[in-house]
Amino acid sequence: MTAEQHTILCVDDEPVGLEVRRMLLERAGYRVFTALDGVSGLEIFAREPIEAVVLDFAMPGMNGGEVASNMRGVKPTVPILMLSAYTSLPPEVHDLVNLTMTKGEGAPALLRKLGSLVDGVASK
Amino acid sequence: MNSSSFDQILRQVFIVPMIAVLLGAGALAWQIRQASTTVARIEASDATIARTDSLAALIVDQETGLRGYQTTGDSDFLNPYTNAAVEIPKVFQELRVANRDPAYRAAVADLEAAHQLWEDTFAQPLMSTLEAGGQTSDADLNRVGRREMDAIRQRVTALSAAATAERKGYIERWRHQVRVMLVALLTLAVGIGLVIGLYTRRQLQDVSNAFRQAHNILRSRAEQAFRSEQKLRTTLQSIGDGVITCDAESRIETMNDVAQRLTGWTASEARHLPLDQVFRIVNQTTREPIENPVAKVQRLNSIVTFADHTILFRKDGSEIIIDDSASPIRNKESKLIGVVLVFRDITLQIKSQEALLANEKLAVAGRLAATIAHEIHNPLDSVSNLLFLMDGQSTPDESHHFLQLAKGEIARVTQISRAMLSLYRESKAPVAIDIGEMLRSILLLMERRFVSLGVVVVQDLPEGLVIHGFPAELRQVFTNLLTNAAEAASARIGVTQPVEPAVIDARMADPPPAHEDAIVHVSAVACPAGMTPEGLPRPAGVQVTIDDHGNGIPDEALSHLFTPFFTTKGERGTGLGLWISRGIVTKHGGSISLASSVEPEDHGTTASVFLAINPTMNAGGE
Repeated sequence: MTAEQHTILCVDDEPVGLEVRRMLLERAGYRVFTALDGVSGLEIFAREPIEAVVLDFAMPGMNGGEVASNMRGVKPTVPILMLSAYTSLPPEVHDLVNLTMTKGEGAPALLRKLGSLVDGVASK
Repeated sequence: MNSSSFDQILRQVFIVPMIAVLLGAGALAWQIRQASTTVARIEASDATIARTDSLAALIVDQETGLRGYQTTGDSDFLNPYTNAAVEIPKVFQELRVANRDPAYRAAVADLEAAHQLWEDTFAQPLMSTLEAGGQTSDADLNRVGRREMDAIRQRVTALSAAATAERKGYIERWRHQVRVMLVALLTLAVGIGLVIGLYTRRQLQDVSNAFRQAHNILRSRAEQAFRSEQKLRTTLQSIGDGVITCDAESRIETMNDVAQRLTGWTASEARHLPLDQVFRIVNQTTREPIENPVAKVQRLNSIVTFADHTILFRKDGSEIIIDDSASPIRNKESKLIGVVLVFRDITLQIKSQEALLANEKLAVAGRLAATIAHEIHNPLDSVSNLLFLMDGQSTPDESHHFLQLAKGEIARVTQISRAMLSLYRESKAPVAIDIGEMLRSILLLMERRFVSLGVVVVQDLPEGLVIHGFPAELRQVFTNLLTNAAEAASARIGVTQPVEPAVIDARMADPPPAHEDAIVHVSAVACPAGMTPEGLPRPAGVQVTIDDHGNGIPDEALSHLFTPFFTTKGERGTGLGLWISRGIVTKHGGSISLASSVEPEDHGTTASVFLAINPTMNAGGE
């Protein structure tokens, strides 16, 4: 647990999954914002000092790829971790985000990947 | 010349000679009768001559008797006289009767008078004188007697001469008649011969002409028939399908080139063989032999088509899939005289269809795999995160909360996985399916997709609508139709505004919180047995209707919707969905139809699927 608390944005259309993810990350010491769809996620992203984004790919309306692309347009340096229920993501999405992971890989994997992203930002 | 006029000629040729011969015979009979009359007259003349002679003899007897009496005075000498005196009037009477000629009769009367005169003036006085014992040697008296007797003799001689002359005349006439008869006979024979000959010749000439004409007509007809047969034969040979003709006993008569190639038999080998031996067919699925097409045609007495899935064993044992039909050949009296069998090799077609179906199944499986991944990975992610949290420093209360959440997520996974499994459960025989239950489970699987498309599905699915069929296949059909409807609605509303819940039960009376165009209605109703709008009988069943308010399908596209590879979805569609759906519904003995409108006031598409409660499965429907 670091003294400096990182601020994270989680976007997912699955309410239960999002809520559980928020609890997990808060317990890991992060300050967590959540959004149930891309539009509200982008609002929070623009408003709050977000340091990293955990983004679901498959969402109604605007999918994760579009959301990520918009975020890059606003704050290009904020790292994005793309979550996916599918085993494969479109190649352009891979190029757009910093890291990807498949849902179900488990909490340690998520914390490790997210940790590497925020530490990377911190060391910059 | 027809047969009745020919018969008439035959009759005439018989009757005309008969009439001619009868006429000849009649003429001859008449002639003979004439001759007989003449002969009778000759005989009469002979009798007259004889009577005249006997009269002359009697008169001589009288005179002789009288002379004897005169000389002797003995009355015994008078006996000839008295005897003759009795006979002579009788003879005169006969002579008068025998001849009607007045001159002759006058001559007879004259003779009779002369005789009477002799008796009265000479014989009687002489006898009276002698009886009285007087003298009779008076020269004058005797001179008178002699003169009178001379007159009598003269008349008798004349009468005899007249009779002889008459006889001679009759004989002459008889000879003439015989000559005439001979000439007439000859003339008649020649005439009849000529008539018969000429007449018969004329009639036979007619017959001969008619025969020649008939022969010419027959020859030209035979040529026509030959040409037309050649034409048909060439047509048959160049046709793309195999054609076999059989007689009514199902023995092969002809095979065209294609039939020979497909069966592996040459026409000469197969000729007169039973069809079964050359055209061995079995059902592709069951491998059971199929009823001999000829026998089936004979049984049903109509054109017979066979299921698509018919396998033909070639002569070398290899197999091809064929599509065939058999039609009866009937004569003028509608009696079956043969059967023509038409078939073609559809092996390639069937294989490519199978490939297409497999392809579409793979595509469906691929989409399904993605859905599975999404639907299972999401709860799985939550569960694994919750377990991680519980593993850490959680209070019992927190742990309890996490546990409840995890249970909920696991229940969701179970529900999804059950729905998935039922989607992939293949059954061999039709099973009972609750239509409402099946559609609800499909909607459950598709809910996320509806959400992402911004579509709300309003379902009106009563409980207990049960039909029989293959669940996996019917799921494919309804998934297809629901996807089409949702995509159409989504395309209409453009920018998607996610609405949850995406599936609403119409009977819960919740007004859907979405734009009218974003709503897709799914309903199922029971249909009692009745008639289709086309007037065909329809068994009891269930009608499923899927209704969207999308942009609709233009008329020109509407007619192609069930054609393979036709798609309105561009790159995203395979163009096989509706084609396969229709195949499945047809296999279930049901029907599928699409109605659509592009008009602003009632735009949208309605898909209707009818499924019978107890369908007759069509093996070749797929």
